[in-house]
Amino acid sequence: MSSDGSDTDWNYKAKGTAGQKVVVAILLIFPMLIFGITPLYNVDKPTLLGLPFFYWFETVWLVVSAVFYVIAALMLNRMEGGDSE
Amino acid sequence: MNNYIILSVFVALFLVFVALGFGSSRFRRGDMSDLGEWALAGRKLGGYLAWFLVGADLYTAYTFIAIPELVYEKGAVYFYAVPYVGMTFGIAMITMPRLWRMAKGKNYVTAIDMVQDKFNSKSLAILLAFTGIVAELPYIALQIYGMQAVLTVMIGHLTATDANIVTEIALIVSFIILAAFTFTSGLRGATITAVMKDAIIFASVIVIIIVVPIRIGGFGVAFTDAKTLATGTSTLAGLFLNGFISLTIMSALALYLYPHAINGVLSTNSTKRLRMSTALLPIYGIGLALLALFGILIYAVPSALGDVAKYGPVTVVPSLIYAEFPDWFVGFAFLGIFIGGLVPASIMAISQANLLTRNVVKIAKPNITAKTEARLSKWFSVMFKFIALAFIFAISATYSLELQLVGGIIILQTLPAIFIGMYTKRLNKYAVGVGWAAGMITGVYMILDANFFIAHLPSLQTTFFKFATPFSFIYIGLIALLVNLLFAIVGSLIMGGTKEAAVKTAKA
Repeated sequence: MSSDGSDTDWNYKAKGTAGQKVVVAILLIFPMLIFGITPLYNVDKPTLLGLPFFYWFETVWLVVSAVFYVIAALMLNRMEGGDSE
Repeated sequence: MNNYIILSVFVALFLVFVALGFGSSRFRRGDMSDLGEWALAGRKLGGYLAWFLVGADLYTAYTFIAIPELVYEKGAVYFYAVPYVGMTFGIAMITMPRLWRMAKGKNYVTAIDMVQDKFNSKSLAILLAFTGIVAELPYIALQIYGMQAVLTVMIGHLTATDANIVTEIALIVSFIILAAFTFTSGLRGATITAVMKDAIIFASVIVIIIVVPIRIGGFGVAFTDAKTLATGTSTLAGLFLNGFISLTIMSALALYLYPHAINGVLSTNSTKRLRMSTALLPIYGIGLALLALFGILIYAVPSALGDVAKYGPVTVVPSLIYAEFPDWFVGFAFLGIFIGGLVPASIMAISQANLLTRNVVKIAKPNITAKTEARLSKWFSVMFKFIALAFIFAISATYSLELQLVGGIIILQTLPAIFIGMYTKRLNKYAVGVGWAAGMITGVYMILDANFFIAHLPSLQTTFFKFATPFSFIYIGLIALLVNLLFAIVGSLIMGGTKEAAVKTAKA
């Protein structure tokens, strides 16, 4: 809980430079975009441990997404400032 | 197999679960006669517990039962659950910290509290509160289907003659126990038991996914044995690409509109912890992906296929576990799946109860005290659990997943008011109401059409609409949402935005 009041502001605007905001937007949107363009991974080769590409790629992409999201979260938390938690 | 060992392990662990459920009311103790304490655990959950709590919304019978059932029956299109999970947390990272911030200062317990202030409309709030309550019902029913599936396999092997009646009694008894500890411990009970449930599930899934492929000679064998499934086996067949993409995106948009997901978000103690735990949640999805693959793996295990033929495709995961593992492990994993339905059912009923108290009763009777508010919510949560239980004895769905997908179509109609309303004042409350009605009518009509008017199916079987190519197999939720948005946006452009209720924040 930060005490500077920004936590409860209905019109809160993310702090940070335009450059930082663009990077965060890319970090959040890119993993979702890849998941959304299904034809990219709707193929069966190469297989991994007998799994068609379609299945293992989506599973691995979950991990990649989490990495992207965590970097975005770290940046956003720093941009927000206030108490470090 | 010694079925009594399975039963003993199951019952012993269930007793531990019950003890945790009741004991957790002491955890970070608060005044349980306050709604924020009972329903949001006092907004004191840190990153780890919030992760488990929101994860608990994800690791449900949806994951253990419904998705594997349909991957087994229909194939690749139902693997959409994996990209859905990956995508939904990206959407949550964008929308939820903002909702949390809006809720914190004004002590909101539900997203509809925000809608009510933002649109300055009590009628819209009541409408959306009932939408949320109704959308949760089939989701809770799905949890009960999952619990029933485990009991069917476990009890079916013990007694062939009385299996049905014993299963029903066991279900009702567990619901009474669940209702009692939700009543006393509220969201704390759900959170602490969620940790136990996920520990058991994680351990079981990892063991199963390593042992079974080795024993059958690799995933490749299972994919060969699975032959050709209707929507594709190793990749999506033809136009099921439409179904896959529309199910993925709509489910991703829907999850954080559900009252139970928002309940989890509002119980965290800071935006920073909320953000970090959300960012890590796709990791949970790995378990979901592995469980979905059980629907294919089972094709290489003939004795499990025998059980599925006997007890129905809803038992894919329990049958596979029963066929491949020692008794004690079967009992352990079965209990995980069983409470995997119970815990989410508890969280969902709490969130329904909050909606009914805060956004219906409180609007009609603004003077009720905080104590009465909390007491009402507790009793409503009991009521909703038993409505859901009655629901599954009354309604027949061929595939349990379709229940959740119907819930999805309903909850998506709250998207304009919640997700767009959060960001702009330009939406008009009447336009949002008309959009809601148009979306709802479209969705319900199309469900009836696809299942009963065109195909004359005996029960609910599909949520895909049968358009002419190239638009076949689009999820009805997408079409209903587009209709809703069209009315909401065009109407708002014509009529202009709504004035907010006086917002007390200082505009420096």
